[in-house]
Amino acid sequence: MTAVLSAEGLSKTFRTPFSRRQVRALDGLDLQVAAGEVFGLLGPNGAGKTTTVKILLGLTHPTSGRAELFGLPVSDPGSRRRVGYLPEGHRFPGYLTARQTLSVFGRMSGVSDSDLKARIPELLARVRLSDWGDVKVKRFSKGMTQRLGLASALVHRPDLLLLDEPTDGVDPVGRREIRDLLREEAARGTAVLLNSHLLSEIEATCDRVAVLRKGKAVAAGRIADLTAQGFAYRFVGAPMDEALLGLFRESGAAAERVNGHVKLTARDAAHLNALVDAARARGVLVTELTPLRSTLEDVFVDLVRAGETDEAGGTVITPPEEGRPR
Amino acid sequence: MKVLAANVEEVFREAAARWTLVAYAALSTLFIALFAAAVNLDVVDGALAGAKLFGKQLEMGPRSVDLDKLVLGFESGFSGFLYVVATFLAVFATAHLVPRLQEKGTIDLYLSRPVGRVPLLLSRYVGGLLLAGLNVVYLVGAMGLLIWWKTGVVHPRFFLGGAIILFTIATLMAFAFLVGVVTSSTAVSIMATFAVFFLAAILSGHRQIEAALATEWAAALVRGFYWVLPKTGQLAQATVDFVSGGQLSRHKVEIDYLAVFGTTGLFGLVSLALSALFFRRKDF
Repeated sequence: MTAVLSAEGLSKTFRTPFSRRQVRALDGLDLQVAAGEVFGLLGPNGAGKTTTVKILLGLTHPTSGRAELFGLPVSDPGSRRRVGYLPEGHRFPGYLTARQTLSVFGRMSGVSDSDLKARIPELLARVRLSDWGDVKVKRFSKGMTQRLGLASALVHRPDLLLLDEPTDGVDPVGRREIRDLLREEAARGTAVLLNSHLLSEIEATCDRVAVLRKGKAVAAGRIADLTAQGFAYRFVGAPMDEALLGLFRESGAAAERVNGHVKLTARDAAHLNALVDAARARGVLVTELTPLRSTLEDVFVDLVRAGETDEAGGTVITPPEEGRPR
Repeated sequence: MKVLAANVEEVFREAAARWTLVAYAALSTLFIALFAAAVNLDVVDGALAGAKLFGKQLEMGPRSVDLDKLVLGFESGFSGFLYVVATFLAVFATAHLVPRLQEKGTIDLYLSRPVGRVPLLLSRYVGGLLLAGLNVVYLVGAMGLLIWWKTGVVHPRFFLGGAIILFTIATLMAFAFLVGVVTSSTAVSIMATFAVFFLAAILSGHRQIEAALATEWAAALVRGFYWVLPKTGQLAQATVDFVSGGQLSRHKVEIDYLAVFGTTGLFGLVSLALSALFFRRKDF
């Protein structure tokens, strides 16, 4: 799978002028995002998420390492030809109308006037701003500005979207619509790099995530893999007597009753199957066997808290293998 | 080209939306209207029979007044006045262009497009220069037409004098851009540019200042500043001399045009090149 975005050993140290103070915002980050993939960048404040995005867009220069978009170094403005960006806290010129905003930024992205004529109404409809096309941006609410920002990021039909807190200030219905829009874009092959504090949103939208802490990726992978609790399962069946649980424990499994079901932790898949066979042999009717998962929030909080002891090098983040389900 | 057009259009749109364009035009119109109301000439058969300034009759004396020479005097005096007015208005109207562009949340929107930093900065510069240039054309053009309407005489040199004014504006705007890139402050850009304007004007008398200084290093410092800074004083004088065709200078001071225009142009070019360099290297 071709990576549309790749970074290798990306580091950034900010130096304060007239002072010896240095802040290492990024520390050897490796990152790859493939076409059609929705990738989430997580991390506490100051973890290096925005710095990463800014380096990828050429807004900030890396201290070391290299980054490429579509095979072009990020220092080349041409690398941004197929990139749409929605910055956090963006400020469109308030004197422009929504239509003029899309026209100005569309032309700056190389879209022809004739294309814009058709594209602008289509985009305004897509972000539910059709009735606001000729209203000045300064009259827009936060949510409307955010939706206009998304339209502006999409105006030139980009193949990579970099979005910093895209649902900030947007109501729940609007959030859902933005999520759907991102999935639609991903379905047509657009890669999306999503930077958000809203873990539930990341969980609902992203295929893979990376958790940054102090400029390093401390975990990365598919959300299902990160939230999986080994071979822990919710086991429901009848009858479930103490003798059966004792049998499970004798085989080396952990078994405990939790709110009417049994939390069963096996060593591996073979062990799990053996436990199910043993229960069936005792006449137990199995009605549910579900893998237990942590929430992304649990994983995130654990990583950020426990991360203090894990200061070794950055994690390599690669796209999923070809054909692997997302 | 598309980027340049989009940026120039935006500079004008912003100027219109923020009342800069209105204020610019209103102030220029005020100067023109003041001139139109203040000067009343009574021309009979191509000769000046009488003149009023701010309603007060001017003593013409027993000698006949050469109307052509009188108009030339007006034009040269006014070109010096317009030099100062147009330059000041231009600095006020364009000093915000870079600091506003560099504001957090705004710069990201521009730099995330497939546009190089230098073309982005230069397109703002071109937009600002066009805005200032239009005002110079309006000021000089309207004033020339008024003179022609009131006297039937006008000299093409008066209109061409606008080019020297625009040259000065281009130089000072380049410096304002440099300060804007470094400080991101409109106020500091305006203050620093006016400081250069006045300091350079004072330094046009550098020989007298040097002679009054006690030490050689202080004199060398003054001389150094004189050569580095734009020659705003001499350029004003050059504008007046150019419009009058050198006929009306009371104190004939030789101007080394090549040195004045050359060093001023160099100051502008270096300022613009440095602002482009710093803008390219800056982290946002």
